[in-house]
Amino acid sequence: MFQVSLSQESVQAQSTYLCLDWKRATKVCPLKANFWDSIRSGFLKNNNTTEVIEPPSTPPEDEEPLPQEFVLTERTQPDGTVEEIVFSSGGDVDVYDLQALCDKVGWPRRPPSKVATALKNSYMVATLHAINRSSGSEGNDRKQLIGMARATSDHAFNATIWDVLVDPSYQGRGLGKALIEQMIRALLQRDIGNITLFADDKVVDFYRNLGFEPDPQGIKGMFWYPRY
Amino acid sequence: MASSPFPAAFIRFSATPQNPNKKSRKAPPITISTNRSCIDVVHLRELLHASGHSCHRFPTVGADGRPEPVDLGKLSRAVAHSPVVVSVFCKSNFPLGDQDPGGISRFTGFEQMFERAVSVPDPDSLLIGFGRAVTDGGLTASIHDVVVMPSLQRLGIGRKIVQRLVRVLTSREIYDISALCSTEERLFFRACGFGDDMLGSTTMMYTRTAPSGQEGESMTKQAGRMLLLAPPSTRRGSD
Repeated sequence: MFQVSLSQESVQAQSTYLCLDWKRATKVCPLKANFWDSIRSGFLKNNNTTEVIEPPSTPPEDEEPLPQEFVLTERTQPDGTVEEIVFSSGGDVDVYDLQALCDKVGWPRRPPSKVATALKNSYMVATLHAINRSSGSEGNDRKQLIGMARATSDHAFNATIWDVLVDPSYQGRGLGKALIEQMIRALLQRDIGNITLFADDKVVDFYRNLGFEPDPQGIKGMFWYPRY
Repeated sequence: MASSPFPAAFIRFSATPQNPNKKSRKAPPITISTNRSCIDVVHLRELLHASGHSCHRFPTVGADGRPEPVDLGKLSRAVAHSPVVVSVFCKSNFPLGDQDPGGISRFTGFEQMFERAVSVPDPDSLLIGFGRAVTDGGLTASIHDVVVMPSLQRLGIGRKIVQRLVRVLTSREIYDISALCSTEERLFFRACGFGDDMLGSTTMMYTRTAPSGQEGESMTKQAGRMLLLAPPSTRRGSD
């Protein structure tokens, strides 16, 4: 479980825990017990319970999207091997495989530990892998990460899609489109209706074709600028 | 951040009347907290509704011109999955807005805003402000649903909420903090130190809707007043 204390401004203050691992939380800290109390008190008017209550098991509608894995495309290479492109959500992404992919598309490097944390706490991480199945029966399959997209979300209203990338040698085949479409389906399935992303100029048309609109009704993203 | 025994932090809060033609408004005694156990989602829903704020970006508007009240279950879930939440409370005996006929504050005493974490919701306190942030804990964060009760707006409370959210996030080394803004909200966030993306990115939202009358196997989902059309499933066998 990943718990980070964020604010310890006074001795008598209860620290605010940045509890990012909701689904796997099994231990109770008093703060979380009170939190579930207060959530319940929103539903039951006369709830005066003071006992420490274990957080209830995650309600069904609160679950993260069901992990999926399936073959998107399959093609036979000139050398006789078969290359499958496999879509997957919910699998683990090796941070260094991702870094190699980011290098290929020319993105600046980011600290691996931060990337790992970000992936772990994303609502959904979708990947594309190219699997080259050798024609022999030895099982010498080569698996390579060739695409990724992830979304953060509050599990209810808002989702933001970040870090969409496809290996340049696999671009132009509709794989990026497939990544995003699957992600949108998964989000809408969970009733998450505000789906946002921040697109570079070069890819605005790509997303427009997928149903995204720039600045809809004047809605624009703004970003924090540090003041020193 | 160094912990001091007491008081946690006294921040002098002086009301700066935005409209000098009206009589000067006294700053209310307010407390600001990042403790999520103070949040009663029923009160939060009332605050959102009173502020005319919707959690849906394209809300259904009711007969009174305000967005429909938000679904309580979804609101609970959203708050639960926002790692940073800020709530602002005001003593309930403080006159709010036009309800005070004599225009005289029954409140005497200090006009300082102080920070204190409360472990249980204070029954005498009214939720008058709120804000939350969603983050992946490593790289990015987004701020949502910053609201202040209308009668207490333009006193700097909203800015305090955003400052607190930002402070908590940056203390965890998250500096990529975004906020989705309607045209009206842009001025507010600009005053909070937000600006256009340095990298010049374009904000885009999924708005593909189902053409009316079109039935079929396509999944549609209601998001506020928009009936969003999901892309067709891309699952297929070999090409």
